[in-house]
Amino acid sequence: MKKIIVEGLKYKYPLSDTLALADLSFEVSEGEFIGIIGENSAGKSTLCQALVGLVPHFYKGAYGGKVFVDGLEVKSHSIAEIALKVGMVFQNPFTQVTGSKMSVYEEIAFGLENIGLPRLEIIERTNYVLNLLKIEKVKDHNPFDLSGGQMQRMAIASIIAMKPDILVLDEPTSQLDPAGSEEVFSAIQKLSKQGITVILAEHKMEKVARYCDRVLLLNNGKSVDFDSPEKVFSRKDLEDHGVVAPVYTRVCKALGVKMAASDYYPVTLEDAERALRGRME
Amino acid sequence: MKNQSMWSLRLSTAALVLIPVAVGVNYIGKLIAAFLKLPLWLDSIGTVLAAMLGGPIVGALAGAINNIIYGFTDPISFVYAITSVAIGLAVGILFYKGYISSWGKAIVAGLIIGLVATVVSTPLNIGFWGGQTGNVWGDALFAFILANTDSTWLASLLDELVVDVPDKLLVVLISFGIFKGLPRNVVQLYNNNEKIETLD
Amino acid sequence: MKSISLYVERDSFIHEVDPITKMIYILFALLIPIILPSFTISFLCLGISLLLLVMAKVIRKTVPVFSFVFLVLITVVIIQGLFKPENETVLFQMGPLAMYKEGLLYALTITLRVMNIVSSFMILVLTTKPSDLVEALVRKGMSPRIGYVIVSVFQIIPEMMSSMGTITDAQRARGMETEGNVIVRIKAFVPLLGPVILGSLINTKERAMALEVRGFNSRAPKTYLYEEKTYTHGRLVQSVMLLLVVGAIVWRIFA
Repeated sequence: MKKIIVEGLKYKYPLSDTLALADLSFEVSEGEFIGIIGENSAGKSTLCQALVGLVPHFYKGAYGGKVFVDGLEVKSHSIAEIALKVGMVFQNPFTQVTGSKMSVYEEIAFGLENIGLPRLEIIERTNYVLNLLKIEKVKDHNPFDLSGGQMQRMAIASIIAMKPDILVLDEPTSQLDPAGSEEVFSAIQKLSKQGITVILAEHKMEKVARYCDRVLLLNNGKSVDFDSPEKVFSRKDLEDHGVVAPVYTRVCKALGVKMAASDYYPVTLEDAERALRGRME
Repeated sequence: MKNQSMWSLRLSTAALVLIPVAVGVNYIGKLIAAFLKLPLWLDSIGTVLAAMLGGPIVGALAGAINNIIYGFTDPISFVYAITSVAIGLAVGILFYKGYISSWGKAIVAGLIIGLVATVVSTPLNIGFWGGQTGNVWGDALFAFILANTDSTWLASLLDELVVDVPDKLLVVLISFGIFKGLPRNVVQLYNNNEKIETLD
Repeated sequence: MKSISLYVERDSFIHEVDPITKMIYILFALLIPIILPSFTISFLCLGISLLLLVMAKVIRKTVPVFSFVFLVLITVVIIQGLFKPENETVLFQMGPLAMYKEGLLYALTITLRVMNIVSSFMILVLTTKPSDLVEALVRKGMSPRIGYVIVSVFQIIPEMMSSMGTITDAQRARGMETEGNVIVRIKAFVPLLGPVILGSLINTKERAMALEVRGFNSRAPKTYLYEEKTYTHGRLVQSVMLLLVVGAIVWRIFA
């Protein structure tokens, strides 16, 4: 069965007159790495939150359609129950620090204490994710004393420790410097290679093109396209939807250079180099 | 806003997270007042805002936890938790019944809260300090009244009144001003009434 | 990062006593003088508390708190000594002002009571980490959500303070006046407080969401990373205190 099934999803925030999500339907298979792109109020964050149950349970509002994550229907389960299947990492590293624990180690264990795991398992999982996200060095530091990149990796570690099969990230590097960003993307890629299904809402198109198996383009809460990065970024109407293609694609579009034997433009540096070299010979 | 959910004891996560912020705002208010050398405490802005946003229970809890935490650094504050709870409850009730809906009404509300605080604090003052408040002007008044009448209760009441009413008036006005300036989706978060409607 | 807790790390017997016992001690130190109101008993209780503070090696840390309290107590002594209604017996004259025995004795009662509260509280506060206290309470049945709220205050306040420092500097760089008459100063208040509050409230929404996805509202029974701390002599001390309270009540009734 598909890992994520979205059927006719509609959502309207309380006090709002317009639908934030308007009849979305799509499916995601296990292990896929999906990118969600779109301009600022296209519904990317809302969709991410709909996958973990924050929409509708946190905001209330008006909800229609169905969302199934790993067989569980979001509408009829609590956020805490869904958290065992889907984890979410947000933009702001600071506000994901609970503020109730004095060390990074305890901070990661917080979620595990909440879900009632036995002590030995808590310790085992915490050690594992500290290692996986490469933050064992800072495990005894105060959570607020970390760099932005470290804080985000701690947030990811805290979520992964809960062993969800699906990880949703909403622009996780937008508040980080380039070095911090790289650390986070590298961690996410590692997790994806381990088989975790990753949903990443992002503005950094070069990253989306590089890592994602498929890209979901949203506009006004509707799905415009859901296909491979090459197909989506080669669209002529990309800018009408408020999206700027990866820089390599823009260069190739301007030069009219498509990939060999294909109707699509390159989206990564390597593909662009290959296509341009081909053109030069 | 419907009234029956005013007394709901099951607090949302958002309301719970509001409480440390309320305590922080109280503390910062106190610091800024000291920094600007204002002759008032201004240490309950957070409690009042929490009550406006989340209702009387959240306000009372914010007030209680505020004084319990203060008690860790200044044990006498601990006892005045009762006053903070009263302030939280009073503001929450007034606000949810719509009595604080304009600047004019906020002034009246501020005076009422000042009176509530005075009435609750005076017995505490008498029980613990023999009637004084620790505030220079108030205690000077206390000495004066005590010297000229035989009533400790009157002296203590006036001591507390003279300090509390202006303080709470300003606190309620400042909180109201800040509340009005908040984006609606922040305020909406604390509204307990909402149910999920279906669009199917 | 600065903490707002007064906890002082020391190696003492008192530090090894469990927080719940220390809380019960506060109750004990308050009840005994109420059950047996006499200066001797009050002095005794105060003496015991001060002794415990010395044993905990934290007596020096109590000085700032006691100094502040003393300042107010001095005014109490003066005002009560001079002006208390029912003052009759003059103890000594200072020019036109007379100090009366009743007032001074009353001020002494207040002083002892206040110092008793402060010192018994200080025993708890100076020798207990807030997170240990909260964990002890949660293990005994307090809601972990409330436990979270209490512990997070200690971290969130220093965070808000540093954010406020930044905002104050920024506002002053923009020419905001912070000195002058009262009106000027009141006008400076809101632009300082406003942005801090707004920023904090927006953060609470994000923090609440992050907590939710960390299973904050899970119905599963909570477990703990650390083993339950075993405290020495907790039961023994609590029983002793209970016996003393009962003894005091008995004495009061029959003596």
